[in-house]
Amino acid sequence: MKHIFRGALLAAALAAPLGAASAQVTDLKIMAPAAPGGGWDQTARSMQHVLQSDKIVGNVQVLNVPGAGGTIGLAQFVNGSKGDPNALIVGGYVMVGAIITNKSPVNLSMVTPIARLTGEFEAIAVPANSPLKSMADLVAALKADPQKVSWAGGSAGGTDHITAGLIAKAIGVDPTKINYIAFSGGGESLASILGGKVTVGISSLSEYDAQAKAGKLRILGVSSPTRLPDAKDIPTFKESGVDVEIQNWRMVAAAPGITPEQKKTLAEAVDKMVKSKAWTDMLAQKGWANTYLAGDAFDAQLAKDITSTQAILKDIGLAQ
Amino acid sequence: MSDTPISSTKGPDKARFVIAFGLAILAFVVGWDAWRLSSVNSFSAVGPAAFPTIIAAGLALLSIATAIEAIGEGAQERPRDEIGPMAWVLAGLIGQIVLLPFLGFSIATGWLFAATAKGFGRGPLWAHFLAGAVLCFVIYVIFAKGLQLALPAGPLERLI
Amino acid sequence: MDTFAALAQGLSVALQPMNLLFAFVGVMLGTAVGVLPGIGPALTVALLLPITFKLDPAGSLIMFAGIYYGGMYGGSTASILLNTPGESSSIVTALEGNKMARAGRGGPALATAAIGSFVAGTIATVGLALIAPTVVDIAISFGPEDYFALMVLAFTTVSAAFGSSVTRGLTSLFIGLSLGLIGIDLQSGQARLSFGIPDLLDGVEVTTLAVALFAIGETLSVVAAGARAEEVIEPVKGSVFMNKEDWKRSWKPWLRGTFLGFPIGAMPAGGAEIPTFLSYALEKRLCRKPDEFGNGAIEGVAGPEAANNAAAAGVLVPLLTLGLPTSATAAIMLAGFQQYGLNPGPLLFASAPDLVWGLIASLFIANVMLLVLNLPLVGLWVRLLAIPRPWLYGGILVFATLGTLGANPSLVELGMLLIFGLLGYVLRRYDYPIAPVVVGLILGPLSEQQLRRALAISVGDPLVLFQSPIAVTLYALAALALLGPLLFYLLTGRKAPVGGDED
Repeated sequence: MKHIFRGALLAAALAAPLGAASAQVTDLKIMAPAAPGGGWDQTARSMQHVLQSDKIVGNVQVLNVPGAGGTIGLAQFVNGSKGDPNALIVGGYVMVGAIITNKSPVNLSMVTPIARLTGEFEAIAVPANSPLKSMADLVAALKADPQKVSWAGGSAGGTDHITAGLIAKAIGVDPTKINYIAFSGGGESLASILGGKVTVGISSLSEYDAQAKAGKLRILGVSSPTRLPDAKDIPTFKESGVDVEIQNWRMVAAAPGITPEQKKTLAEAVDKMVKSKAWTDMLAQKGWANTYLAGDAFDAQLAKDITSTQAILKDIGLAQ
Repeated sequence: MSDTPISSTKGPDKARFVIAFGLAILAFVVGWDAWRLSSVNSFSAVGPAAFPTIIAAGLALLSIATAIEAIGEGAQERPRDEIGPMAWVLAGLIGQIVLLPFLGFSIATGWLFAATAKGFGRGPLWAHFLAGAVLCFVIYVIFAKGLQLALPAGPLERLI
Repeated sequence: MDTFAALAQGLSVALQPMNLLFAFVGVMLGTAVGVLPGIGPALTVALLLPITFKLDPAGSLIMFAGIYYGGMYGGSTASILLNTPGESSSIVTALEGNKMARAGRGGPALATAAIGSFVAGTIATVGLALIAPTVVDIAISFGPEDYFALMVLAFTTVSAAFGSSVTRGLTSLFIGLSLGLIGIDLQSGQARLSFGIPDLLDGVEVTTLAVALFAIGETLSVVAAGARAEEVIEPVKGSVFMNKEDWKRSWKPWLRGTFLGFPIGAMPAGGAEIPTFLSYALEKRLCRKPDEFGNGAIEGVAGPEAANNAAAAGVLVPLLTLGLPTSATAAIMLAGFQQYGLNPGPLLFASAPDLVWGLIASLFIANVMLLVLNLPLVGLWVRLLAIPRPWLYGGILVFATLGTLGANPSLVELGMLLIFGLLGYVLRRYDYPIAPVVVGLILGPLSEQQLRRALAISVGDPLVLFQSPIAVTLYALAALALLGPLLFYLLTGRKAPVGGDED
């Protein structure tokens, strides 16, 4: 084992000055800007697993740098990995919001985005005995008095809050008037919905899935562009007349200041990984949807997300 | 350990005055932060500034109470603390923070161990440093291989 | 009697030699990481998930159960022997446990913690198997206003039990409350007391503060005392094991701790810390020798230890019956279920009974195994205290920083350890109690968030706080805790048996 590893290091050292002559990455450090166990950490460790088991990359290390919605890890990555062709960072839509609300000195334009890997869609749920039967009912209730509709979701300024704000805006209700109640954990907010303490819950669809199947919750709508293959009976926000589409995605990015060739090598490795059977199996096992998007298409989508997030956070009063 | 011989003499207790002053500063900082937040538009009845305001008020009251006690109870004799040994332990902790980014977990924490032992009167420094560094290196390997957790690496750790 | 048949079936799975081995590996790993402050069972299970995927579902769930209970156990061992609470739920254990260990009674302290954990774990696991659906219905009916009332009860009982000087106890509490403000406010998204330092945005970690105040503060004050505090730590004085009086003083706290821990642990926002606070306060109130509290009262170890283990089982109630993960560990266990294609939720008991019962059975096995493994080790553990002081304290500091670095390799985190360590030293030097600082940090943010949630849901109507019967009951209990000693005095004309110096 050790010999192979030393050999790999040596090969990496030799390959670097030659300007990545071989399109093979031998040694990779993936930063998960979160504590072990969370979504980004699991993404990084799943990547590690697949890249190594399919021998796409010789040796992969995962480094956890938790804190402040990933912005601490991002700052460390931007400052510490400049020009390093063997460094990747995992991130996601949550980071886009955290950079804005935390007034982070570093942002995603300072790294080299490689690809969007997975994504989840947001859903709105009510208890089974709620008088709200559809998105239309919710819209009517919001228009009548936004204060009377309490929303249970994740922390203020997070994806759930942003989605609630977008919905209010789309139906012509002042986003600062929504009665959003933040919970620190999925279990706690779910309990408050099941217990009928709040009017609606807003979170990723997977959080509500099991409860909905058991008939304890009713899902009013989902934020995907079209109906989801494994949830065909749930209408999208759009078809209910609420023009909101949002995806809570996870991505991988490379270090700032790498050459286009180095970026290409990394992108190819990621592409190979995403198309492998091991990755497909991993996603199925974790219940993550593959929303792979790379190259210019991803860059454009990222830019769009950043602009729209900036706008909505301003509207709900969390950014200047 | 708390069997501190207490005997009051004339005059106020200076140490408690210092504590009262510290509490007043803390009250000011918390209160100032709350005041800064109160301008933030908030959609709920109780905003982010309410609790800090209450806590700042509590701290201010405690500061006054402590000052009154300092006068009432009078100066207290407290046994003198030994600065030398304490400085060693603090040097160990500060040294670890300084060394960690450059020399990695094993060396920085080996220093912490050696300096603490020195503070408790056990030398020589270098032998304890060596023993500590070796111990920490083993811990590093266990963490890296067994738990897949990366502790800060330095020249020593990069050897594996 | 389907339940018992199912449980027997689960036990027969868990008792297979291979699965016993997994349980053994699990409890060993769990104990090892539980000892490290900052690195808890959640993190370990998360890191082991990819590895255990290669095992069969029963094997890996059994291992998780072992890690889960082992982690709770390791946390208390470190608290008692080294005064470095490994988990936030074993902070209270350090108060009396470490005092006992220093007085040569480490053996009985570890034993009462072990047996108490076993008793509580077993009763709570039976509760989990038999009355989970009933418990969860009550737990779910708790709203933010009820949680706020629970926090008020915790504040009043705990502060009534702190130390002789009201000013000093409150000062410590308010320092903790101020520290609790640091970071992003959940409800408004605004940063408080963070001064533009990104590392402060997530607030102060409870284990970081506890380890700094207890272990580092203690080390600094011992070294500063120098020759003056040449107190000899006696590893063993008297029996290594519990004597008859220890048993007599322990069994009631075990049971009371269990009945506090299990239901509160089952509440979605209950947690494992609050029952330990309540148990400590309750035992101090009920103890025949209240002046022993603060100097190593065995009740102060037995009760909270039973409470935190019962709470650990309680957390599984909403997880298994509703699929609600209410703690970090539960969330990871849920991920473990998902690995095997199980959809945790209200249908879990029906759709995968063998796995659920297998898990419950392995909790029993893990519990028994921990007891069998640890009781003989008590004698060995207490020998740790025979290590010469330079090495013992050197080791404690290595240990304290290691746990913090493992969970979050950040220099700011180490800096916090140093600053809070100095704070701990100053508090000790001027006779301020330490525990209320930690209590303030834990309860402050919780009570603030629950109060604000309650008022947001009611759109600002404060009456909502007193309209729920649960809340009113809890306020009545709080009033009793606060005014009880006074009533006692008025009725009997003598001072209530409460008080005694703390720290």
